[in-house]
Amino acid sequence: MLFRLLRLVLVLALVVSAPLSFDAAAQGLGQAPAGLVADQQKILQDLTTKTDNLEKKIQQDAEDDSALVDIRLQLEELSRQSLNSALAFRTRLGEINNRLEQLGAAPAAGQPPEPDIVSGERQALVSEKAEINSVIAVAQTLSIRISGLIDNIGNMRSALFRNLLTKRYVLSDALSPQVFSDASDEFGNFYKAVSSWLSFAFKFKFQAILAATFVALGLALVLLVGGRRLFGRVFEADPANENPSYLSRLSVAFWSTLLPTLAVGAFLGSTIFFFNYYNVLRGDIGLFLNALATVIGVVFCVNRLTNAALSPRLPTWRLIPVETGPARWLVRLATAMAVVISVNTFLSVINDKMGSPLSLTIARSFVATIIVGIILILMAMLRPFKARDGSWRPWPAWLRYLSLSLGLFTIVAALLGYIGLALFVSLQVVVTGTALITAYIGFLSARAIGDEGAFANTSVGRWLSANSSYEDTALDQLGLVVSVAINLMIVLVFLPLILLMWGFQPGDIQAWAYKLATGINIGSVTISVTGILSGIVVFVIGYFLTRWFQGWLDGSVMARGKVDTGVRNSIRLAVGYAGVALAALVGISAAGIDLSSLALVAGALSLGIGFGLQNVVSNFVSGLILLAERPFKVGDWIVAGDVSGTVKKISVRATEIETFQRQSVILPNSNLINNSVGNWTHRNKLGRIDIKVGVAYGSDVKQVHAILLEIARNHPLVLKNPEPFVLFSNFGAAALEFEIRVFLADVMNGNILQNDVRFAVLEKFNDEHIEIPSTPRAVVEIKKPKAWPIDDDKIEADFAEQEQVKAEAEAEKKRLAKTGRKVRKPDPD
Amino acid sequence: MPCEMQQRRWEHRYCNMWKSLVAAVALVAAVGSANAASAVNKDAETRTLVVTEGGSKTDLALAAGETVEFCANGCFVTLPNGDLEALTGSETVEISGGVARIK
Repeated sequence: MLFRLLRLVLVLALVVSAPLSFDAAAQGLGQAPAGLVADQQKILQDLTTKTDNLEKKIQQDAEDDSALVDIRLQLEELSRQSLNSALAFRTRLGEINNRLEQLGAAPAAGQPPEPDIVSGERQALVSEKAEINSVIAVAQTLSIRISGLIDNIGNMRSALFRNLLTKRYVLSDALSPQVFSDASDEFGNFYKAVSSWLSFAFKFKFQAILAATFVALGLALVLLVGGRRLFGRVFEADPANENPSYLSRLSVAFWSTLLPTLAVGAFLGSTIFFFNYYNVLRGDIGLFLNALATVIGVVFCVNRLTNAALSPRLPTWRLIPVETGPARWLVRLATAMAVVISVNTFLSVINDKMGSPLSLTIARSFVATIIVGIILILMAMLRPFKARDGSWRPWPAWLRYLSLSLGLFTIVAALLGYIGLALFVSLQVVVTGTALITAYIGFLSARAIGDEGAFANTSVGRWLSANSSYEDTALDQLGLVVSVAINLMIVLVFLPLILLMWGFQPGDIQAWAYKLATGINIGSVTISVTGILSGIVVFVIGYFLTRWFQGWLDGSVMARGKVDTGVRNSIRLAVGYAGVALAALVGISAAGIDLSSLALVAGALSLGIGFGLQNVVSNFVSGLILLAERPFKVGDWIVAGDVSGTVKKISVRATEIETFQRQSVILPNSNLINNSVGNWTHRNKLGRIDIKVGVAYGSDVKQVHAILLEIARNHPLVLKNPEPFVLFSNFGAAALEFEIRVFLADVMNGNILQNDVRFAVLEKFNDEHIEIPSTPRAVVEIKKPKAWPIDDDKIEADFAEQEQVKAEAEAEKKRLAKTGRKVRKPDPD
Repeated sequence: MPCEMQQRRWEHRYCNMWKSLVAAVALVAAVGSANAASAVNKDAETRTLVVTEGGSKTDLALAAGETVEFCANGCFVTLPNGDLEALTGSETVEISGGVARIK
């Protein structure tokens, strides 16, 4: 929108204001810039004459489709010009209307008359306005007339096409012996024309021909050799490879069709270009040469494609698994078909130029279409596959019947005299078929590349993984991008090609492309591809600019300026958000998207946002506050609720904290804003560490105090100021309690210090024999045997029993010793 | 690779991100690209514009307070006061007090 407005303003400014501003300054507002009306009148007159000429041309070229398309394009341009010339009056009309309003209406009959100067000016303005209106009316009439002509052309073209397909010729006239003599006459004429040109060229332009040919040859060689060097491994089948992958077979087929065809096309195109450049060609010879070049290009392309897909020499590289014999035949048949069609096209150009009789044209087309039909039928009858048992199997049914019906249709149409239709069909079969098959192979290879892990196995992928730091996932994504790019390329190349073949003229495609670029209307919505693309491009550029600026600010300016890391981080983030938002805004306006229509949506959404996205928005705002207020920075040690750790990253919605156990905790920013947050390292990292020590009652507390103080003072991490302090804090239950309070420059070193101090205390106390009492807190349950009731009789009884058992055991032992038997183990129970 | 195949959580997130990005672009493209000329009638009575577009003249009646989009690719308009103007298709015609202004 913005850009369009700007452009409009610029154009208007150029057209209108340049002459106007001088005049207005010199003569005041009341006077018309004399040139404007006359200029535009002249322009419109010019346009009208051109339109008249074109209208005449339409009548003349009523039979020529491509000329009609060309005329239509010119007419559309004229229509735009007439609109533009009418646009030139807008500013002036606005000025006149404003002035008239200021002057007011003419006084009515009863009112006092106004001064002459006022009525005079009004008169002048009104007459100028009438003049301008009449000029614009001329532009309007012209545009209506042009629209009518364009419609007319559309009708004529569709009638032409219908006529071509449905016209029936009488074959008996065409296929009389007369044709042969006509043909030989024509051949004689053609021979004369060519030979006279050749002798002329050799006599006078020999060097130019040589130069042109050599330059063209050189160009093609460069293309071919360079292409081979660059893509050699891609498009040449390796006979040594026994089992090439599907992907490599596909890509070899695709590229070995495309690149040589391009090279040949470049050679032919540049030959003709240089011949033209050196003025070697005469009018008719140029046409013949053009036709010949097209013919050679088509035949070459068809031959390459069939060779690539069927590769009769290397069975392992064959895309379609037919047998070698049929493959060879298929290549021959397809090439023959292309040759027939191409020769026919070439001859038709000669016929046109030589003004040969209609019968000759009909006969030629008849023969060509019959041959194509027969070839199609032959292809359908071919049995290309071999079954397990060695018998030959035909094509799949749909393909066979399609080919068969196309062939029969062509032959029958030709026999019935519908030569135009038959020719159209056979031409489509060859050219569209070729383009479609190439495109299909390209699509297949794009799909194969897009498969997971496939790109890494291609030669490019291997090269990349060897020579760059891409990882497998990155390569995979790259493969996806490549596959999308190939698809896009195929659509861009082959869609226009196929449309061309289907009888659309280059002008049609140009008009469509223009429409697509400036905008297609669907209802009142206009979708413009260029608009959207330019928006995306602007956004991407803005995004990278932001990233670059961020990096530069962070790496060069702030790092050199010794800015604190936390501040650096905040500034970098803020710059990033602002830049991306700006890029998005600029991109949207560059895409021609009216933000005011988004405002409506935003208004409707804001209620939803208010409820549904409450948390997100509050977190977002909190994030901004965190960045601005900076209660903590990245790297700070904070305590928020029960989370304590180092701040790793502050982003829009949440803050990432890493605890000392290396657990990442994501805290929503609103938590950090609404609740209290402890920060150990807010302004500085200074912090106090308290270490409790208890000594036994009876120790020499003065000595203890001195020892503790000395230990604290002697530690290198402890600050001298504030001084370390030992507090005699309590007469505890079991111990006299002391507390060592020391300040550290970096509180993060607290653990090291505590360890050191405690070790030192224990060592020193051991040396000085100072006890640290321990109060075992753990309650250990000791299992006591059940207490008997205290009863003397019972104890006595027990004792007597034990004595008796002892005595018995003694007696037993003696008895066993006497008998010499070994001591038996007691019974288990 | 379709989104459903992405096993890891973070990949899934990116995938959704892409989806929503595409959706946003589509929405923006659909919403934002209306850029025909528009006519607003701010008067209390019906006004008529005569629009010549694509070879035919049509009367465009604007009821009181109505806004109409027309003329996407350039056209000629006859305003209520009889003035003839050309539009490129990005202007706004505002009618108030019987007088039309082009902005």
